[in-house]
Amino acid sequence: MRIVCPFCGERELGEFTYLGDAKPVRPTADAGEDAVHDYVYLRDNVAGVMSENWYHGGGCRAWLKVTRNTLTHEIAAVEPAAGAGAAKVGA
Amino acid sequence: MAGAQTNRLDNGGLIDRTAPLKFRFDGKSLSGFQGDTLASALVANGVKLVGRSFKYHRPRGILTAGSEEPNALVELRTGARREPNTKATTAELYEGLEAASQNRWPSLSFDVMSVNQLFAPIFVAGFYYKTFMWPAKFWEAVYEPAIRRAAGLGRAAGVADPDHYDKVWAHCDVLIAGSGPAGLAAALAAGRSGARVILCEEDFAFGGRLLSDGGMIDGLPAAEWLSRTLAELAAMPDVRIMARTTLFGVYDGGTYGALERVNDHVPSPPEHQVRQRLWRIVAKRCVVAAGALERPIVFAGNDTPGVMMASAMRTYVGRYAALPAKRIALFTNNEDGWRTVETALGAGLQIAAVIDARPDISPSHRSLASRNGFTVLHGSVSGVDGGKDGVRKIAVSLTGGARAEVEADGLAVSGGWNPAVGLTSYHRGRPKWRDDIAAFVPDGAPPGMVAAGAANGNFGLGACLAQGFAAGAAAAHNTGHNGKAGTAPVADDETFSLTPLWHVAGKGKAFVDYQHDVTASDIELAQREGFESVEHLKRYTTLGMATDQGKTSNVAGLAIMAAVTGKSIPDTGTTIYRPPYVPVAIGAFAGHHRDETFHATRLTPSHHWAAEQGAVFVDTGLWKRAQWYPRAGEKDWLQSVTREVKAVRSGVGFCDVSTLGKIDVHGPDAGAFLDRVYINTFTNLAVGKARYGLMLREDGIVYDDGTTSRLAEGHYFLTTTTAKAGLVMQHLEFCRQVLFPDLDVQLTSVSDQWAQFSIAGPKTRELLKEIVDPAEDLSNEGFPFMGAREVALRGGIKARLFRISFSGEMAFEISVPARYGEAMARNLMRAGEPLGVTPYGTEALGVMRIEKGHVAGPELNGTTTAADLGLGKMMSTKKDFIGRVMAGREALVAPDRQVVVGVKPTDRARRLRSGAHIIPKGQTPGPGNDQGYVTSVCFSPTSDQWIGLALVERGRERIGEIVHAHDPIRGEDYEVELCNPVFYDPDGGRQRG
Amino acid sequence: MAEFSWDVRSPLDRALAVGRYGGHGDAGVALTEIRNFDLIQVMARRGKAAEMAKAAEGRFGVAAPETPKVVQTADATLIWSGPDQFLVRSKGDKHGMAALAPLLAGSASLSDQSHARVLVSVSGAKARTMLAKLSSIDLHPGVFAVGAAAATSMDHTSVTLWRGNDRADGQAVFNVLVFATFAESLWHTMQDSAAEYGVAIGHSEEF
Repeated sequence: MRIVCPFCGERELGEFTYLGDAKPVRPTADAGEDAVHDYVYLRDNVAGVMSENWYHGGGCRAWLKVTRNTLTHEIAAVEPAAGAGAAKVGA
Repeated sequence: MAGAQTNRLDNGGLIDRTAPLKFRFDGKSLSGFQGDTLASALVANGVKLVGRSFKYHRPRGILTAGSEEPNALVELRTGARREPNTKATTAELYEGLEAASQNRWPSLSFDVMSVNQLFAPIFVAGFYYKTFMWPAKFWEAVYEPAIRRAAGLGRAAGVADPDHYDKVWAHCDVLIAGSGPAGLAAALAAGRSGARVILCEEDFAFGGRLLSDGGMIDGLPAAEWLSRTLAELAAMPDVRIMARTTLFGVYDGGTYGALERVNDHVPSPPEHQVRQRLWRIVAKRCVVAAGALERPIVFAGNDTPGVMMASAMRTYVGRYAALPAKRIALFTNNEDGWRTVETALGAGLQIAAVIDARPDISPSHRSLASRNGFTVLHGSVSGVDGGKDGVRKIAVSLTGGARAEVEADGLAVSGGWNPAVGLTSYHRGRPKWRDDIAAFVPDGAPPGMVAAGAANGNFGLGACLAQGFAAGAAAAHNTGHNGKAGTAPVADDETFSLTPLWHVAGKGKAFVDYQHDVTASDIELAQREGFESVEHLKRYTTLGMATDQGKTSNVAGLAIMAAVTGKSIPDTGTTIYRPPYVPVAIGAFAGHHRDETFHATRLTPSHHWAAEQGAVFVDTGLWKRAQWYPRAGEKDWLQSVTREVKAVRSGVGFCDVSTLGKIDVHGPDAGAFLDRVYINTFTNLAVGKARYGLMLREDGIVYDDGTTSRLAEGHYFLTTTTAKAGLVMQHLEFCRQVLFPDLDVQLTSVSDQWAQFSIAGPKTRELLKEIVDPAEDLSNEGFPFMGAREVALRGGIKARLFRISFSGEMAFEISVPARYGEAMARNLMRAGEPLGVTPYGTEALGVMRIEKGHVAGPELNGTTTAADLGLGKMMSTKKDFIGRVMAGREALVAPDRQVVVGVKPTDRARRLRSGAHIIPKGQTPGPGNDQGYVTSVCFSPTSDQWIGLALVERGRERIGEIVHAHDPIRGEDYEVELCNPVFYDPDGGRQRG
Repeated sequence: MAEFSWDVRSPLDRALAVGRYGGHGDAGVALTEIRNFDLIQVMARRGKAAEMAKAAEGRFGVAAPETPKVVQTADATLIWSGPDQFLVRSKGDKHGMAALAPLLAGSASLSDQSHARVLVSVSGAKARTMLAKLSSIDLHPGVFAVGAAAATSMDHTSVTLWRGNDRADGQAVFNVLVFATFAESLWHTMQDSAAEYGVAIGHSEEF
């Protein structure tokens, strides 16, 4: 598999590490135990297109949000994580 | 004297008669020529019997001339290079080649196990499943070894492979599989258009069927067109054509696998060269021009040596000038088979008869027959009379029911052609059925891939050239290359009229899968027993498994299943295709990653100094770490380690701890960031101070620990454990970029920038005074416990000094830029000589941390909470941090959790072992009363006995209790006392002193 | 008081044997370790990319790379190393920590990496062929031109790779910046990969 890193260009799979579903959002500090439990443990098992966290650790160390079809491995989009490239925030 | 090449023509073929090569087969000296394969050389020497079959030990000959060969599998080479199951049909002949037939004893021609044929009725499909079911314990002890001896194929060398392999990346616009007319035409079009092209050819010669079948292209004989085309391609700088290279798989994103047999055609690779090379090719487009495979017809005795695919016979005669027989018959159901007759006649062979299963035969073939005095029989071959010495007579069922016999010593068979649909089907593409050629053709190929020519079911030479050229031009165009491609090469199309015929009923075994001895009746039996689905059929009968993956057998097997179930062939369907297309040695996948270079290695800055000292190294992840430093006269590691510990506790020692992960955390929000990733607070850490920090996973379990120092207002220096260094960096980047993107914080690894040494023992200050600039105040007031700051060293360089202690002694850690690391070790030794300074390794480090009750990897085991480790009070209640909420779950704060406690045997002389279970005194051990286990042990020189740490239910409430340490693996059961985990200096006076 | 000195020792000091290695004939690959340089990691702070770029341009006279490129000045090499960050390679404290820190304070965080990396330059007729064994990056001249850079991995080891100016004989020069503790291991792998082409091994302090 190959992933087009928004910073580095197209790279081979070996440079990346997979984390998992990018959809769950970390609850705020005042959220209760149930919300945190869902965030930590509940995952959809998607047969099709899903949004995933990948780390370009063998390259520029950016965390990426990859839209991938789990059936075909086709990658529809790759975006940087909110804090990757944050120096340009507000530019 | 090598045997004469009795079956070699004096002229013709693509062999070099000026380059004779001697070789041995089953110990017999034979000779061949440069340009031969082992198979063609055996043919030239009149060898018909080349192996014994898998199950029945039937005599087998050469069936094909390519990588689809199911029969002619040999052990190639000897000694450590012995390679089993090598296809004689693709093994290039070289001087001194040694090959041995397989699966026979004591000899190929007299094989004791061929009595298996007498028991053939019981060796039916599912035989192993049915027969060796029970008793279960017999499987490993009796059945499997016996079966392996009797069946199976060649023998592995049994020793390490002496050769080297490597892996390489390549990139191109257009990748082409196969150098037949379609592949070469594709390469021409793509190359001329300006695309970067890679063409892989499995054979050692380019040309595909042109090498065997000839023909006319653009008005030139095929050989001349071939050499002109190869010259044109060779002159294109961005076209790479690779021989001896099989494109074996396609992977996601246009990545392909190819195996190049760099030096398989020589006895052993030249110095510094590899045997084979694995190519990972990244291609934007791929043209599969891998051709088609001629398929057998299933009839009784179709495995008799001398029965051969018609196209293979043409190849042996035409390309290798080697005669598989003197008087041949042809059994065909299509027009293409007749070409073998023409080639054979051209080589002066006798044609005994042509048995054509089709209703009509062309007038030109009839006149060919009458001109050359052979008969054409309408019908099918129903049996072969022959044996290990070859074919004698062929029984024919004539259309209309009469019978005939043909005397011949060779039988060429053509059941039609199957496009090579492997590559196009590897992404679960299901090939589709085409009635006109009665074959599956590619459908649903992976993105960017197309098939052209015979691989796409277009068998005529003209069609192959036209389609290949068009595919190459389109691929180039689609990758942005629009140079002038010129016109496609032109040739006539041969006719290909086929009447499907898969199986001829008759007496005797009719083989579908030669390699696995699967017969037509096995398929019928499988159907009767309910294994109708093709995937079940495959597993139940083993049809299409193993090294040839059913290249010659699958479609016939499906057709027979279709016939017995009354379904059509496309409705019966195909099994899933999976790479690799041909077997690939594990060595090629490993490349240089073996033995010492199995993985990359990290060396500490003082590594070579430690090696000079005679250190024993231990692999810790990728690191080599000094484990202990043996001295003359020490009889074992325990003696060395005990000496090192005592030296530190009574004097001073040092240890390279550069393997700890080191991360610079910068930015205005650095402290706030650390507050979120650690359970304790760092915003309130003063500049110049260090603090122990603990990280949790979001599920509340401890992740990692380490000391973090504040070097400046917006600059923290964070350390991790050695094991988790990379993972913590990844985790922190995740926190920074994904979880907390609003924080202004920057992270960078400085693990390799600093050589870090722990200096410990009551004489630490005395040693440091020799190293550090005299102006630096190292007193308890000037540099208190948990202080951290930059200091000047004697000699003008700067260091970072941290007053932290893992050993429980008065200790510092000192960091210098890494290229001074070795000098630091030498200087500590020199400066510390009067103090008896002792370098110590990871074992002594471990002993001292257990004595001090510090937790490490065995306690941070992915199941423990901060409270389990006795660090629950560190958890801040005033801020959010990763793992906070989940750490408060009922089960994670339950009072009966297993928590860290010290253990020591009541018998002071007894050795304690980690892994021993903790069982209440007086109870019979069992899962119901298993209260924990011993996590870390050491011999404590300070306590003068074995001590350990354990995770024990309610352990901290049970100090002083005597329990069992139950160790069923070692058969031990002894009493231990639960005690305070801090065995050494419990009030911490030494490290603060 | 003991006499001691602070010898600087390259992590390749033991592994690098100057001379010829591997196949005979003309060396197809030249492996040269470049020693003794300063290397500073510059990371822009949140929202401060423009400010950092301005400060850097003022210092170096050219814009720092914002994409995978390398920019060469008379006395510094600016190498892209990831989003919002680049490395400054120089010599003799020209652009070391002390020089850059006051200039970039507020707009960027700096980290001294001078001892954290080893720099190996790879050139020769077979340089690309040999590097293809280690690198998944397409080094075709039309794709990876002079000035191209990549944060990538070789042999599962993170490296920064860039193409410097061509050699006087026109051949391409590839620079591999590898973490110091991995350097000896990668060096052996590079040497083995190049062995079949013949290797000329050396080291240099040239900038």
